[in-house]
Amino acid sequence: MGVIKRLSETLANKIAAGEVVERPASVVKELVENAIDAEASSVLIEIEEGGLKRIKVTDDGRGFAPEDCRIAFERHATSKIHEDSDLFHIATLGFRGEALPSISAVSHLELTTSDGVHPGTHLVLQGGHVIADGLAQSRKGTSIKVEGLFYNTPARLKYLKSIHTELGQMTDVVNRMALAYPHVRFTLVHEQKTVFQSNGSGQLSHVLAAIYGVRTAKAAFPFSGKSLDFKVEGLAVHPQISRAGRQYVYIFINNRFIRNYPIFNSIMEGYHTLMMIGRYPICVLHIQMDPSLVDVNVHPAKLEARISKEKELCALISESIRSAFHRERLIPSVTGKPHSRASKPKNEQQTLDFSPTAVTGPDLSEPIEHSEHTQTEKAFSEQVHEPETHTFSSQMAGKDESATTLEQSVQDTSDVEDSPSDEPQRRMPKLYPIGQMHGTYIFAQNEDGLYIIDQHAAQERIKYEFFREKVGETAREVQQLLVPMTFDFSASEYETVTEYQDYLQEIGLNFESFGTRSLIIRSYPTWLPEGREEEMINDIVHQLIETGKVSIKKLREKLAKMMACKRSIKANHYLRPDEIQALLDSLSKAQDPFTCPHGRPVLVHFTPYEMEKMFKRVQ
Amino acid sequence: MQELQDSNPNAALAMKCTVQKDKLADAVNRVMKAISSKTTIPILTGVKITSGRDGITLTGSNSDISIQTFIPLEEDGNENAVVHTPGQIVLPSRLFSELVRKLQDEDVHIEVDSRFIAKITSGATEFSLNGLDPEEYPNLPIINGSDAFRIRKDLLKDMIKQTVYAVSVTETRPVLTGVKWMINDGKLSCVATDSHRLAQRSVSVENGEDSGTHTLVIPGSSLNELSKILDDDDEQLVDIIMTTNQILFKSNNVQFYSRLLDGNYPDTSRLIPTESKTTIDLGTKDLYRAIERASLLAKEERNNVVKLRAEGNQVEISSQSLELGRVFETLVPEHFEGDPLRISFSAKFMMDALGKLDAQSVRIHFVGPMRPIIIRPIGDENILMLILPIRTF
Ligand SMILES: Nc1ncnc2c1ncn2[C@@H]1O[C@H](COP(=O)(O)OP(=O)(O)OP(=O)(O)O)[C@@H](O)[C@H]1O
Ligand SMILES: [Mg+2]
Ligand SMILES: [Zn+2]
Repeated sequence: MGVIKRLSETLANKIAAGEVVERPASVVKELVENAIDAEASSVLIEIEEGGLKRIKVTDDGRGFAPEDCRIAFERHATSKIHEDSDLFHIATLGFRGEALPSISAVSHLELTTSDGVHPGTHLVLQGGHVIADGLAQSRKGTSIKVEGLFYNTPARLKYLKSIHTELGQMTDVVNRMALAYPHVRFTLVHEQKTVFQSNGSGQLSHVLAAIYGVRTAKAAFPFSGKSLDFKVEGLAVHPQISRAGRQYVYIFINNRFIRNYPIFNSIMEGYHTLMMIGRYPICVLHIQMDPSLVDVNVHPAKLEARISKEKELCALISESIRSAFHRERLIPSVTGKPHSRASKPKNEQQTLDFSPTAVTGPDLSEPIEHSEHTQTEKAFSEQVHEPETHTFSSQMAGKDESATTLEQSVQDTSDVEDSPSDEPQRRMPKLYPIGQMHGTYIFAQNEDGLYIIDQHAAQERIKYEFFREKVGETAREVQQLLVPMTFDFSASEYETVTEYQDYLQEIGLNFESFGTRSLIIRSYPTWLPEGREEEMINDIVHQLIETGKVSIKKLREKLAKMMACKRSIKANHYLRPDEIQALLDSLSKAQDPFTCPHGRPVLVHFTPYEMEKMFKRVQ
Repeated sequence: MQELQDSNPNAALAMKCTVQKDKLADAVNRVMKAISSKTTIPILTGVKITSGRDGITLTGSNSDISIQTFIPLEEDGNENAVVHTPGQIVLPSRLFSELVRKLQDEDVHIEVDSRFIAKITSGATEFSLNGLDPEEYPNLPIINGSDAFRIRKDLLKDMIKQTVYAVSVTETRPVLTGVKWMINDGKLSCVATDSHRLAQRSVSVENGEDSGTHTLVIPGSSLNELSKILDDDDEQLVDIIMTTNQILFKSNNVQFYSRLLDGNYPDTSRLIPTESKTTIDLGTKDLYRAIERASLLAKEERNNVVKLRAEGNQVEISSQSLELGRVFETLVPEHFEGDPLRISFSAKFMMDALGKLDAQSVRIHFVGPMRPIIIRPIGDENILMLILPIRTF
């Protein structure tokens, strides 16, 4: 039974006509999308010579009814939307009825399909015209073979890049589809070699592993969030694994891959200071929402989307990612494998705190050996009386279960589940200092192994969190200037600044014109750091030009970073034992103790197992 | 001195005293040398003030050193301070020191309540500062050793000046950031080296009752600070007391503590050549200035290398910059003995060494182009400076 109808004239015009097939990769994209729309559970893509010789996409979807086959190659023939209003809630990938006619117009195309009920159809088209028509096996599914792409449009052909580049593009397309549909099994074969394969298990992390390897997939933290209108979920890879480009951030709205700058930014916000400047994460984000809240009909390649309530969505994304990281200990390990134990955080075995500072202040008055002895005893006896101290047996049970690493045993002991402690979770493991190296690194240990801490980065993090609070408190006061500051701008900058004059005035910057492209100010807000007022004002103007608004929060954050760096102990600075202890103690209270505000790691970790491996005590 | 009324009846009085402003300012100024704004223990950015029966003690402390200054109630018949209620407080040091310096009246009254709020009054000015709990302030090392000796203040300053410049400034080998002191048989010898150069000086000291040998390594930065806070009363003696991990210098009303470095200091004695193939005597200032001029060009090149050629009773100092040009200068030595020689060395190292010597002339011993250069002031066998040459290709 046929389901395809012609679009009404008006609807056809509403859909922007565009260049559907630009290059082999676009053919792959269109054919794979059709397979998905046909509810395939397995899609095989076979390529030869970068797609120029042959592209064949085979699916096990619902297939074409015999009478639909010819009409599918007519312009604006689609089974997917019928009414104007359907355009406002598109739930399929295709909706224009343009792909098949466009592809067949510039190639030699063969369609073999069956709906599994009727006899199958075999159709051959050349330059958009049917040149042969026959019967085929009645096995449910569709196979479309495209050969000699662009044979009749030499201009297009010339524009194509090397086989290598084209294959890269096609791999990208298939990767994205696989990430969009983890429950569909994708296989990409180039010249008889399998280039990529996903297992269709429905696990996003399996797809990530297929693309980036198991190490990256293991370093990915699942995140999720929900609001009235949106549901977001995905995988955010540990910031230690980062990229120089933005293309490793995948955004899907209702399983459709899109590009959207505000959403991208909201992901970066989620990583916040954990990501080094100029580096980008690997991250997959799925957004589910009512189709009526999103307009994908902006661009012929459907890559852009307009979203209602974008702000709300962005906030939800940032928050979901941030809180996923907050549950984790983001300590880079030396083998490069970050510890991505998404373990139940409440199950952490409490331990006795033997550190001398736990009970008394630091003390230099007595010889080290002596003081340590007495204080340890005191610390011990006081701690034992606390109800919090859990049984040793639970710890032992954990150790029995997994002999592999101690850290697991500490994390996974299940019989302390009903722990009454509601105090804020300490994310930093308790560390006991060993010493300092080169006046720069602090060595510390605990049952989980050896930790090396960059003392500057550590204090920078602590101070940053302190100043971030403090800078926010500054009052709205303005400093008058005897000699005004002059700023020279380009014509467009000048334009923007004058356009936003009122806005700038609100934040305490009163620009007055002074000649054609110069502006002066006679006062500035007092919270601008001394000696760097000009730099900060320039920053503000550039923020305004780039984003159309000024985020005081961002400026103050920059300020906090600057102050933190200035006020922190540097490398090559001896620290005495009580200072080291104090640093570790305040680090353990930091919100994000694992990276400095510039995203560099604060500490690295060697597990006992890694040490044993290094010394070949184990295989 | 006028009595101050307790104006805060709600909080118990924790300390109350009146001090002469100048005395206080001077004492604060000295302890500030031991207070760093960069520390991992926030209370150490403060100054601790203790009012006791005999006077007022100020304390500052950082990773390396602690300084205590004492203001006696009475000194040479003058009244410096009055303690009404003994007690202690820790105040933010930067603020407190500036505040004290800027006060106008002769006297400063400090009154602390049990919530650690300090009211500081002087004339018509009244400050209220939030202090910190003095109980949290780390205790200073207790030093009651009998291992002690005394040295004249000017001599101590000289010794520091002539050795400390050669310590290593990086923590890569921490023990080299210190000056090694060896006390033996009434003699103190000091050595410093950053492994490219070395400075050594010895003096006689007044031993305490014990006459054993002591070897300790004092951080160079501590010695620099010590020199800065010692006053100009040169003939006075400084008491020095040693323990295994601390050293204490006592002079007048100042106590200066420094940590000691642990680790084995390398044996430097065998690094100093005993023979000499070429020996040249030169005016200290003449040589210094010649090298200074040559280094104008040498500085432009990264390495700052100056060449010395000694031949036929003439010494030629030269240097060259590929871009800028070259410079030559000849000096006539006061005395020349041995083989002709060409050698290159760092202008900075040589100037550092020469600049610390007060003698009119120096005697320089060379053993070969790749062997250490020894510089000694003529007339003082107790001082030796060594620098290693630079190999040029
Ligand atoms: N693999 C397939 N299995 C079953 N039906 C298919 C398949 N590919 C295409 N079709 C049918 O052919 C019609 C035309 O496909 P075409 O790709 O040209 O248009 P579309 O997917 O509706 O819209 P768009 O141009 O946006 O992709 C589809 O509406 C669908 O009914
Ligand atoms: Mg389609
Ligand atoms: Zn940083």
